[in-house]
Amino acid sequence: MSNVLLTDLHVSYIQSLDNHQDDLAYHLTSHLRLNGVYWGLTALCVMNRQDALPRDDMIEFVMSCWDHEAGGFGAHPEHDAHILPTLSAIQILAIQNALDRLDVERVTKYILSLQNPSGSFSGDFFGETDTRFTYCAVSALSLIGKLGLLDVEKTVAHIRKCRNFDGGFGSSPGAESHAGQVFVCCAALAIMDRLDEVNYDMLAWWLAERQLPNGGLNGRPEKLEDVCYSFWVLSALSILNKLPWIDSDMLISFILSAQDPEGGGIADRPGDMVDVFHTVFGVAGLSLLGYPQLRDLDPVYCMPADVIERLGLRKGWKALDRKTK
Amino acid sequence: MASMLAQHGVKRARQSPEALKAQKDKETAKLQEYLVLTDDIFTKKKSSDWSRPAFDLTTRLLNMNAELYTVWNYRRNILTNGIFPASTPEEINGMLSEDLDMTMVFLRKRPKVYWIWNHRRWCLEHVPDGPVDDTNGWRQAYWLKELSVIGKMLDADSRNFLAWDYRRYVLASMPNPPPEANELAYTTQKIESNFSNFSAWHQRSKIYTRLWADQLDHQTTKDEEFELVKQAMYVDPNDQSAWIYHRWLIGPGDEKVVLDREISVIQELLTVEPDSKWCLESLVHYKLLLVNKHGEKLTSDRQQLLDDCRRMLRKLKGIDPQRARRYDELESKCTASS
Repeated sequence: MSNVLLTDLHVSYIQSLDNHQDDLAYHLTSHLRLNGVYWGLTALCVMNRQDALPRDDMIEFVMSCWDHEAGGFGAHPEHDAHILPTLSAIQILAIQNALDRLDVERVTKYILSLQNPSGSFSGDFFGETDTRFTYCAVSALSLIGKLGLLDVEKTVAHIRKCRNFDGGFGSSPGAESHAGQVFVCCAALAIMDRLDEVNYDMLAWWLAERQLPNGGLNGRPEKLEDVCYSFWVLSALSILNKLPWIDSDMLISFILSAQDPEGGGIADRPGDMVDVFHTVFGVAGLSLLGYPQLRDLDPVYCMPADVIERLGLRKGWKALDRKTK
Repeated sequence: MASMLAQHGVKRARQSPEALKAQKDKETAKLQEYLVLTDDIFTKKKSSDWSRPAFDLTTRLLNMNAELYTVWNYRRNILTNGIFPASTPEEINGMLSEDLDMTMVFLRKRPKVYWIWNHRRWCLEHVPDGPVDDTNGWRQAYWLKELSVIGKMLDADSRNFLAWDYRRYVLASMPNPPPEANELAYTTQKIESNFSNFSAWHQRSKIYTRLWADQLDHQTTKDEEFELVKQAMYVDPNDQSAWIYHRWLIGPGDEKVVLDREISVIQELLTVEPDSKWCLESLVHYKLLLVNKHGEKLTSDRQQLLDDCRRMLRKLKGIDPQRARRYDELESKCTASS
């Protein structure tokens, strides 16, 4: 167990992810490949090691996932377009300052075509709806400067229907509040400048109660802690400007204790297998908590804050001050 | 398996180089089969092959990896473009039934994979009209079966939010849904077997919101709810599920008599559990509601209520230091409103 961030180990862990092409497990996760690239890149950015993965190869890989027929991105070359990898592609291109490679007109059309009459968004043409997809649409459209084409009222109306008495949000109308859905709904509302829809006191209370005695955060009442909630809960708390409502030192210790001190990477809980998903959300949480020497992360977009500032999209969130040591 | 992208609750184990090699050798054949199959399917997909052999290949591949959403999409396209147009309603019904059985096998192993749940929904939404005298017959039979299937999923994991979402979807989709009272009874049973099942409390709040909107006089059922939640608070005062639900029952605190009554219920529990965080936290919230909502009806004890709140908040900081800053902020509000 380590009480400092093992940056070098995490960097080499992320670099090694693509060296497992003779492992079955590598191929069994192809449906998450583009998301995985975004997670790895963002983790590297937060640790100030963006160059640890070659930029040009990454951009070419992103472009190879373009589904020409649909006008969106699949998770892997030849996979069907879906809104989740489409957001990942746009995030990667934005971070790499390569949005000029994008067919903005077609991808905008694709994203807007996924909105349903109720205001909800489907993930693809087969129609599963989820507030995660609303966030993907809102975030992606704003990153490419096309938010003006979205019917904001209709979109907000759907999010409102997913809000619960505890202040949180669910995946669909009637669904239980879940920290992941709270992040996507709060961040989408923040991007659309509609945080007036949030019941601040209730939600900040509910979020603060996600911290367990061991310092970790859970995603719903009476559930186990998990490193990935370090980002989702913290992101929403930063958007509400209530990060001090939890014990940041205890959470920092919890995230650090979930590192693999031999192979690098961060797991869901101490002693478990690591993966790049928990690695990015672990370091993202650490950045918001002011852990020393990390690059500022924008909690609304889960991307480097300077990238979002360059695009002129910074919202009024507040992270903890960066510690010096 | 260093190359997994996202996983939960898998213990980290260091394997010896020998063990790693043995595992890899074992995997090689499987990997080859997987790659050949994948390649074959994506080639067929590209050429819009909507044939039965292509369909069977997707079954094989999805058995190896049920998360390949593109292959689920392809499978559905084969059905709608190739197989269904050449089939009778009975045949279509039979194929959907087989697909539902297949997804059930997958869900037992992978209950949190969205793509599998999606395919199940798609199947149910494509059930054809039944025989002329009973066009909804097949559909109603499927939906009824779904309700019992989902009951089993929730027996296995009573907090699986995908399963709860699916349950609400099934109830909303049935041509002849059961009365709300049945669902209420279901949540009662779930709560009584485990008071800390917040998913069931949540479901209950949704049902009552609908029921109470249609009923002018719901005081009796509401009082019964207060009684149920009181039991839960007494069984385990540290379990937040009941306290969160209680806050919903109180809502904006419009009824002073209910507020007064519930404050004394909690006060009583506090005498047994003097250091209960949730008793103290709830008392602060409800007493502030009393001050802010019914201030004009309070006479001399307004200041005392605020003093009480401040005292409890200072105690909370000691009991629950993780959230000390929140208690500080609330305390400053007590001063401001006094």
